[in-house]
Amino acid sequence: MQFETEKIGDVTVVKVQTEVLDAGNAKEFRAGISPILEEGAKIVFDMSQLNFLDSSGCGTILSCLRQLNTAGGDLKMFGLQQSVRTLFELIRLHRIIDIFNTRDEAVNAYRM
Amino acid sequence: MMPKKNKILVIDDDPGVRESYDQILSSNPVSGIMDKGRDLFAEKDQDIGVKPSRQYDITLTDCGEAGVSAVQEAVSRQNPFATAFIDMMMPGIDGAETARQIWRIDPDIKIVIVTAYSDYTPDDIVRIVGREDLFYLRKPFNPVEIRQFARALTNQWELEREKELLSEKLARAHEQEITTAAKIQQALLLGQPPKNIQGIQLCQKTIASQKVDGDFIDFIQLSDTTLDVVVGDVMGKGIPAALVGAALKSQLSRALNKLSQSGDAREIPKPENIVSVVQASMIQQLEDLETFVTLCYARFDLARNLIQYVDCGHTRTIHFQKETNTCRLLEGVNMPIGFPEKEAFSQMSVPFKPGDRFVFYSDGLTEAKTAQAEMYGEQRLVDFVQQHAGADLQDLIEDIWQDVVGFSQSEIFGDDFTCIGVRIMNTDAPAAGHSPEENLEIKSDLNELARVREFTRNFCNHAPAELLDRSRIDLIELAVNEAVVNIIEHAYREAPDKPVRIEAQLSPDQLVFRLYDWGSSFDPAAVPPPAFDGSKDHGFGIYIIDQAVDEVEYTREENGRNCATMTINLRGEN
Repeated sequence: MQFETEKIGDVTVVKVQTEVLDAGNAKEFRAGISPILEEGAKIVFDMSQLNFLDSSGCGTILSCLRQLNTAGGDLKMFGLQQSVRTLFELIRLHRIIDIFNTRDEAVNAYRM
Repeated sequence: MMPKKNKILVIDDDPGVRESYDQILSSNPVSGIMDKGRDLFAEKDQDIGVKPSRQYDITLTDCGEAGVSAVQEAVSRQNPFATAFIDMMMPGIDGAETARQIWRIDPDIKIVIVTAYSDYTPDDIVRIVGREDLFYLRKPFNPVEIRQFARALTNQWELEREKELLSEKLARAHEQEITTAAKIQQALLLGQPPKNIQGIQLCQKTIASQKVDGDFIDFIQLSDTTLDVVVGDVMGKGIPAALVGAALKSQLSRALNKLSQSGDAREIPKPENIVSVVQASMIQQLEDLETFVTLCYARFDLARNLIQYVDCGHTRTIHFQKETNTCRLLEGVNMPIGFPEKEAFSQMSVPFKPGDRFVFYSDGLTEAKTAQAEMYGEQRLVDFVQQHAGADLQDLIEDIWQDVVGFSQSEIFGDDFTCIGVRIMNTDAPAAGHSPEENLEIKSDLNELARVREFTRNFCNHAPAELLDRSRIDLIELAVNEAVVNIIEHAYREAPDKPVRIEAQLSPDQLVFRLYDWGSSFDPAAVPPPAFDGSKDHGFGIYIIDQAVDEVEYTREENGRNCATMTINLRGEN
């Protein structure tokens, strides 16, 4: 799976270029994203393309967060579609991962 | 048993006068000879050897206060006095005041004021007492006068009392009739709307007035795609009206039977023919009873999206059209049933679309009045339906009732209140009238999840959008996805090419998804609760399903097939 990344200062914005993140492609996603999540990285996921996420997809995102956290980095995201946000709230991911409405808000959150 | 003697009260401070009353009233008035004998020989009745039966039950009191309390006690024992003879001049309260106080306690008692003085004119006494139906007797009185007064007044009192008892009895009988009529109405006249009719929602509210007047309702389902709604009102009230209503309802079903048997079995009888048969079978009786019936017979044809109706002088049915957001009134050309009408009944057809509403009602609704006799009226009802077009149908009917109650400032109407709401639902379903069912078979491959979700979403779209919104469909899609993932990853342990079958079913009230697999069994109780602290990547699936649908059940059949049944309620609390 391909990821388009953009560096804004020390923050890396990763465009999640898939409409679906489910049990069918979660492993592929995890393998593709792994190199980007280097030590101490400040990552922002642009989720705006994603319109379906299931619990396996959530597990993958959680595993990304844990990898970053143990290496001094962090994960923030923006652009969640309503169905994705609903699931986040259902399993309370929104309490663990900082979610923003816009890219600037997410990036700026690292600067505070 | 001896008939009860009428009671006479004597109030006089003079013991001698009291004694005379006792003598005079105790003697047998029928025996003129005895009177004569006593007059001639100044002998007491007993003295001439005959003891007459006393005609009256006499109470003697020596002052106004004592007389008033005697009346009080008699009334409280429900054994009142018929007549009172009251002396005008007494120590304590005088005769006029005594009469006034007695009448306040017992307005039915006959009163004779007996006076020896000219201090008071009859007019003075009337002024004090406040009533003119007093009688006067001058002292010294003639025993015959006393007896005549006693007899005449006591008889009159007795007649009045009998009349009163009779009208009480009549009132009770009438009340009984109302209760009976109300029972007839509940049991026979008010049909219950059928449930589970695909494509149509029905609500009704009926409130019987204190004077039952024969409103009746019926719902008849003659095919999978039709529903007949009948609303009628019998002219007249009480048991006769209720019975005519019940008779008409039974004639309706006989007419249906008759027409179904005579005509083409594949064709259901037309409303105009049904009504014509009913008219023919009832016209004679209705004419004899000098009554008639207003009626609206409406058939909702969901296959052709039109309402066919025969209106027989009933209140005009409101048709709210969603597309144009306007109300029109369904008007008929027919006379009420029971009118000697020469022309045949004719039906009208009006097309409808999903989202359209119909409101049937009786004149008890539109003719509900304020204390100032202003009527609620048809226009107010039309405006109300128009303004509340977005409300849930059940709420609309309830709100109409509240509005009418608010308008008339009374929950008791002169007429029965009947209101029926019908809503045409989205009938995109494959065949209107049938519960749609669809199945999907896949192999145990996580790459099939996209197809599973597409199937789920498409099926959910069969449900009316107002009952199942976008975000809920998102959740259902998620739940079915999670359940299939569980089957593939756990029941089949990711073995490929194993069968997974999904059956989806939509009824008016529920959406049900059944997922079948032939892998290892699953015990939801063995699944640990999810970790919300981010410490685990998995274990959310079962929790998500639980949260996303209203009910989920996992069963294992004897043949080794597992079934996960997920139910989504379309009505009531989500």
